[in-house]
Amino acid sequence: MSKTNENPTYWKSLNQLANNEEYKKFLEREFPENASELKDGMSRKNFLRIMGASIALAGFAACRRPVEKILPYKTRPEEVVPGNPLYYATAMPYRGSLTGLVVETHEGRPTKIEGNTEHPASMGNTNTQMQGAILGLYDPDRAHGITSDGQKKSWDDFLSFAKQNFTSDKKVAFLCEANSSLTLNRLKKDALKKFKNAEWVTYEPFGEQNALEGNNQAFGKKLRTYNHFDKAKVIVSLDADFLQQGSENVTNIGNYTRGRALESTKDSMNRLYAVESNYSLTGSNADHRLRIKNSEVELFTYALAASLADKIGGLEAFKGYNNHFSNHSWVSVLTEDLLNNKGESIVAAGNDQNPAVHAAVAAINMALENKDKTVSYYDVPTFETGNDTQRFYELTRDLKAGKYDALVMIGTNPVFTAPSDLDFSSALKATKTTVLLSQYHDETARQTQWHVNRAHFLEQWGDGTSYTGVKSVIQPMIQPLYGGKSEIEYLYAIINGTSGDGHKLVRETWKSYLSSTNFENQWEKILHDGILPNTEFDTPRVSLSSSFATYMNQAFAQAKKPGDNEIELVIKPDNKIIDGRYGNIGWLQELPDPVTKITWDNVALMSLKTAATFGVKNEDVVSITSGGKTVKLAAWVLPGHADNSITIWAGYGRKGIGRIADDDFGIYVDNKYKTLPFEVHKFESKNVFPFVTTDNPLYHTSVTVKKTGEYYSIASTQDHSSMEGRPLARQGTLDTYREDPHFAPEMEEVAGIEKKSYRKFPDALYTPQEGYDYLPQWGMSIDLNSCIGCGTCTIACQAENNIPVVGKEQVKRGREMHWVRTDRYFIGNDAGDPEIIHQPVPCMQCELAPCEEVCPVAATTHSRTGLNQMTYNRCIGTRYCANNCPYKVRRFNFFNFSKEFLSSGDDPEVIQMAMNPDVTVRFRGVMEKCTYCVQRLNRAQIDRQLETKNQSFKPVDGSVQTACQQACPANAINFGDISDPNSKVVKVKHNERNYIMLDVLNTRPRTSYLAKIRNPNPKMS
Amino acid sequence: MSKSYEFVPEPPLVQGNHTFGSITALIGDIPERETPKGWYIAFGVANLLLLLLVALLSYLVWEGLGVWGLNNPAGWGWAIINFVWWVGIGHAGTLISAILFLFRQHWRTAINRFAEAMTIFAVMCAGLFPAFHVGRIWVIYWVFPVPNQMGMWPNFSSPLLWDVFAVSTYFTVSLLFWYVGLIPDLATLRDRVKSKTSRFFYGMFALGWTGSNRHWLNYEKAYMILAGLATPLVLSVHTIVSFDMSVSNVPGWHSTIFPPYFVAGAIYSGFAMVVSLMIISRKIYGLEDIMTVDIMEKMNIIMMVTGNMVAFSYLMEGFMSWYSGYIYERGIFWLYVVGPYAWGFWILMFCNVINPQFMWFKKVRRSVTLTFLVATFANIGMWYERFMIIVASLATDFMPSSWAYYSPTWVDYLTYVGTFGLFFTFFLLFLRFLPMVAISEVKAGLPQADPHYYEEDDQLEGSNGAGSIVIQPNESV
Amino acid sequence: METKENKQLHGILAEFQNPATLLHAAEAVNNAGYNKFDTFSPFPIHGIEKAMGLKKSKLGWIVLGFGLVGLIGAVWLMVWVMSSAMPLSISGKPLIDPPIYVPIAFELTVLLSSFGAVFGMLFLNGLPKPYNPLFNSENFNKASDDGFFLYIESEDALFSEYKTTELLKDAEAVNLEKIYD
Repeated sequence: MSKTNENPTYWKSLNQLANNEEYKKFLEREFPENASELKDGMSRKNFLRIMGASIALAGFAACRRPVEKILPYKTRPEEVVPGNPLYYATAMPYRGSLTGLVVETHEGRPTKIEGNTEHPASMGNTNTQMQGAILGLYDPDRAHGITSDGQKKSWDDFLSFAKQNFTSDKKVAFLCEANSSLTLNRLKKDALKKFKNAEWVTYEPFGEQNALEGNNQAFGKKLRTYNHFDKAKVIVSLDADFLQQGSENVTNIGNYTRGRALESTKDSMNRLYAVESNYSLTGSNADHRLRIKNSEVELFTYALAASLADKIGGLEAFKGYNNHFSNHSWVSVLTEDLLNNKGESIVAAGNDQNPAVHAAVAAINMALENKDKTVSYYDVPTFETGNDTQRFYELTRDLKAGKYDALVMIGTNPVFTAPSDLDFSSALKATKTTVLLSQYHDETARQTQWHVNRAHFLEQWGDGTSYTGVKSVIQPMIQPLYGGKSEIEYLYAIINGTSGDGHKLVRETWKSYLSSTNFENQWEKILHDGILPNTEFDTPRVSLSSSFATYMNQAFAQAKKPGDNEIELVIKPDNKIIDGRYGNIGWLQELPDPVTKITWDNVALMSLKTAATFGVKNEDVVSITSGGKTVKLAAWVLPGHADNSITIWAGYGRKGIGRIADDDFGIYVDNKYKTLPFEVHKFESKNVFPFVTTDNPLYHTSVTVKKTGEYYSIASTQDHSSMEGRPLARQGTLDTYREDPHFAPEMEEVAGIEKKSYRKFPDALYTPQEGYDYLPQWGMSIDLNSCIGCGTCTIACQAENNIPVVGKEQVKRGREMHWVRTDRYFIGNDAGDPEIIHQPVPCMQCELAPCEEVCPVAATTHSRTGLNQMTYNRCIGTRYCANNCPYKVRRFNFFNFSKEFLSSGDDPEVIQMAMNPDVTVRFRGVMEKCTYCVQRLNRAQIDRQLETKNQSFKPVDGSVQTACQQACPANAINFGDISDPNSKVVKVKHNERNYIMLDVLNTRPRTSYLAKIRNPNPKMS
Repeated sequence: MSKSYEFVPEPPLVQGNHTFGSITALIGDIPERETPKGWYIAFGVANLLLLLLVALLSYLVWEGLGVWGLNNPAGWGWAIINFVWWVGIGHAGTLISAILFLFRQHWRTAINRFAEAMTIFAVMCAGLFPAFHVGRIWVIYWVFPVPNQMGMWPNFSSPLLWDVFAVSTYFTVSLLFWYVGLIPDLATLRDRVKSKTSRFFYGMFALGWTGSNRHWLNYEKAYMILAGLATPLVLSVHTIVSFDMSVSNVPGWHSTIFPPYFVAGAIYSGFAMVVSLMIISRKIYGLEDIMTVDIMEKMNIIMMVTGNMVAFSYLMEGFMSWYSGYIYERGIFWLYVVGPYAWGFWILMFCNVINPQFMWFKKVRRSVTLTFLVATFANIGMWYERFMIIVASLATDFMPSSWAYYSPTWVDYLTYVGTFGLFFTFFLLFLRFLPMVAISEVKAGLPQADPHYYEEDDQLEGSNGAGSIVIQPNESV
Repeated sequence: METKENKQLHGILAEFQNPATLLHAAEAVNNAGYNKFDTFSPFPIHGIEKAMGLKKSKLGWIVLGFGLVGLIGAVWLMVWVMSSAMPLSISGKPLIDPPIYVPIAFELTVLLSSFGAVFGMLFLNGLPKPYNPLFNSENFNKASDDGFFLYIESEDALFSEYKTTELLKDAEAVNLEKIYD
């Protein structure tokens, strides 16, 4: 294990050998193992050398294994067994708090991220960004070293620079991303001790600062709101996209779906009301959805509070208030429903709503006695006092005024994201010394004196707390690929001018949390488990502050009804790349947006009606002007969007970040501009951050929109959104379910003939071959009632199965390669305001698979465990199987996608390191599709055989999970052996809601669905 | 009441009083005669197109299938459309030579030779497409049952594999049939041509044919048997091609009416193509006496009949999709009519339903120009029929979420154009160097070929060897 | 034919006016008991095989044989491959699944049969035959155009230059020619 660490150059040289022409040619061959291929010009010795090299290439990362002792999560081997993955616990800093993860590493090379079942923020689940983090790690576009004014510099240069410039007499400003790191917090104290009258400001473009400020106004204390969606019966979301946005969304999804899970007709489920302008993922899962302008959400909240105030105490501040929503049917219905569920309800406001809304919501939840039942208010020790937003504004102004000698930035990108009228770049110019730690040589980095390339969280030691305060340690899985530094090493260097070892710094911090007597044992346990349990933040007893009423009155004064024909512009964080920080991760860029199914771009979302008024259709370019700023964007009609309102996702329109993130799809490497082999034409400057100003940080109320007559094509993976009355994704209401539990499987596909009647017909004219009963018979069940449509399964599958990114042009041609897609259908008669249902569709693994019989070369056949398997090497690519697949889940390599994907970048091996060695990389001209992660199944089967000495071939239920199942934050996917009557999946399949898609075809899929159940309020009509 | 009948003879097959010798001269001299300028021009154009085809196919193999307009729901596009279209055209030849032969339709002798040639070249064009549309053409041989080190065999349950056998068999048999028919005429040319080299080559392919009646005995037997074999074969080919669709479960494909419907369509387009080619070549080579208007009319009637069979099966498709109540089937037919490809559907309706109706009028049937027009529309219509079946059905099938509009690329267009280069290059070579009419068969069809013709007593007027005499009831008396 | 001397007589070639006279001539020659003779015409003449006393062609049997080989071979191949050489579960279909054999079995039967028909015919006719003494006769070229010929070989037991010539003359031969080899 440690042998390899001593002489890394040895490996490198072999690795170089592996890259010589001869070897490349050899790899290009169709069948490298075919002996005849080897005759020409390649002696056996030579062959062995090259094979050795290629193995070394696989273990290329071995030389980078951290020197410190880290502990595997499951097994603790004497030495690494090549080919057997090891699992380590770590945690991912995601938008200001940690989520516990378990990382699969092959020969010291992290390849797959899973949730840590023991971590409360994860509960074994992840979200798209977490799944994508692996590709972020191996991103060849990350900054490759420290630079100062465009010059390459070494770490030692930086140290000496720090020594000279960060002397205690300097007036230093610290600008830090939202970061829960305990060590960083400890060093922060040191810093503030050392540098007299220094400022430490936390800045997040789409952070929780408004919520904090709201609670601060309500309770006089800066508290973090946490909603227990699993405990609530009624949830009211006021523009709160809690299933998608926010650092705790994994927890929220889990809790929310747990609160809706139905095992039988007796179970009850929560009811979700959504009030929003954009059609958010949360809105698409709501039982009732009210589309109003973003600027009206505030008014709606007050109206709701006011009507509650008449019934219950604690809301005196709202007594007598009224506006045009006061008589709205929603207000009365919500009031009633909330009052009926006192202490079992949640009112949640979105982070993009202003503090007053959050204050009001806090008051409502208090009044409804939800506190400590469904809503907790956490006291987070690492917070600074004061309003983060205001403090950031002031800091910038002071910087511009030259009040500071130095500015230290940690992980933020204010030049790109800060309000445009602040003009942050001038603040940078005005400051003598500016240093930045960030992963990419981004907009801010290019204007900063010193840029230190940041280590990926998988490369660094660190720590932090979950959203609820549970402490975890971040273990490195691999040594920094580009010699990056973690925020703690960076800050330590700035304070002390010397290099601090991350490992030591973290242990130092943790001394105070662990008893000194048996520190080592506890430390090892924490590394092993990934958490220090029972360390939630404390929830102080709070009451409405005296100033609350006056504060609200000011808010009432400011909140006024927008003009009816006034066009409103809302800037929302992107569902995939947030504020652009994940913009260079191809998997995320190519993941269809959960609601619009758009890939690679951002668009101007608007309702049917609004589009009609502008006379635009999808892909017409509109120029949007507000506050002197203009942006040209493709329009996109999103049914269900609020009228006279336009929503645009932030984070796009970047330059010089990376091949994927950039508009024109190129990158600066050593000040040279390079472009990708496959083209994705993007539009000039789709950056909408310029719209964000200090006066209107959230939305603009008076916007002018003009149709330019230009046309810009958008790659959407789903052109047709109506189900055409076909029973594909089936749903019913709770009442219909209780009356007729079997409503879903009975939905008819032959007009006028009931399912039951033709079910009696013989299944087939022949007796089909069955699977072998001594082997497991794999089956899957997908619960549409739990599925929220986030698309995490797609990314997890992509990561597990080495699925290439194909680029926008190919997606536009309908050639995306995702093995599991999520279909999104609009339902309802009102085209302007439809419901949405999401349906993930992987390969159904039909027992009588239509794809198999039509393959002329028997490249797709049935396994003894009931899998419909592809033999890539046999496939000649007639695409007949894809034609004959009614579920359209087969994907064809029209070009050499994998090769393009894996050979992009300056050092391609880096991306190649992200590949899963257990899965073949497919070549041009072959068909591919979901295999139920057969590599996992076979591994589990073999392990089981070894355990039981070939007594049993059937893995224990739950011992093997497919990638999609494991990642799914909603636990919507069940998978297992259907020949085992006690397995979970069999139990689930016995649910009355269980139905088979297109069962009229008698393809006998192994994958079945559970119908979605909505829980509408009868009073709402 | 008693009815008396009178004979109304068919018009003689060959017009103008030809002798054996004059017929030999008429056709046999074409290879000897000075080649018309038009031929060289046409041949040049054809060669350029052929070159284009070669270039595009190389580009395809080099870059990958992505250069075609295929997408995820529509895994098959122009390639398969063109394949089916060309194979359909390839049906006329063997049909004329085999089936009409069995039915003793002697008028076939005028056109069977170049109809067969057309068949062979059309099938060659067709064969290109399934071969090049696969993702990895370098392993295409895996579809043949060749023992190999992988121990793998083809999957005999795949309609695509049936296709492989059907089309290759059809090509081989058509080629043999054509060649057997050629042997006596090659001998004729061998004995006519002056230049030593052409004499040598014709001689070589004539296999030393002497016209011995001991040989003729076996020869006629062989020809009869071949005709007997080719008849079911020609019907089977498009039946099996239609299996590619009808055996699958795609709405709009999965239909039992496909085999007869495809065969009818094939004959329809095949005859259309033969008629067009006949009209051209009879002009150029002045063969009006042999390729008479009567023959053209007969073929037009067949076009009309098959065209109406096709039209009928459209009706049936529509009816069945409604009558089955199968919502996916209903869906796809409705989408044909009003969906994204409706334009194609209505072109199809005109070309294959309205268009053949013109043939009810004798004027049209006997007018060379109008016939040419109708035939051309028929061919366009049959291309669109395959377009609707293959593309429209695939692009909008079970899963609305996966629907996507298929649009071909420039490579698709030019590849299709290129196949005409292949076709006409061979066809022009054939016209130039081989007898385009079956000389010996025409002679055998002449009245004086029948020994009884010389017996003074029974000089049946118009007894022309065709032996087919129409009997019409005479109402008078 | 300057070199008659060093060549020996191969047979006598008689040309006739039209199919009818040829037919009668053939009849006469056949009745006279000749059997090493043949008639030549640009197209088959109806009823001449009777006149020449030829037996029915055996081609049918050859074709039948080939056809059976095709049929049995095809079915055997498919059964063997799908059930024993490569027994795979494909769409859960049984390993022996007769309906799917029909198309290929049919095609191969037709293919083999037509091979039988064509090559059988060539075999029975002894073709290809690059050299034939008759090709020495300029006049014989008409055989593929509009000439009708009857040829009696010298091999024939009854052959005598004088008698045979007389016989043919009586049969209204328009032109007689001695063929040397």
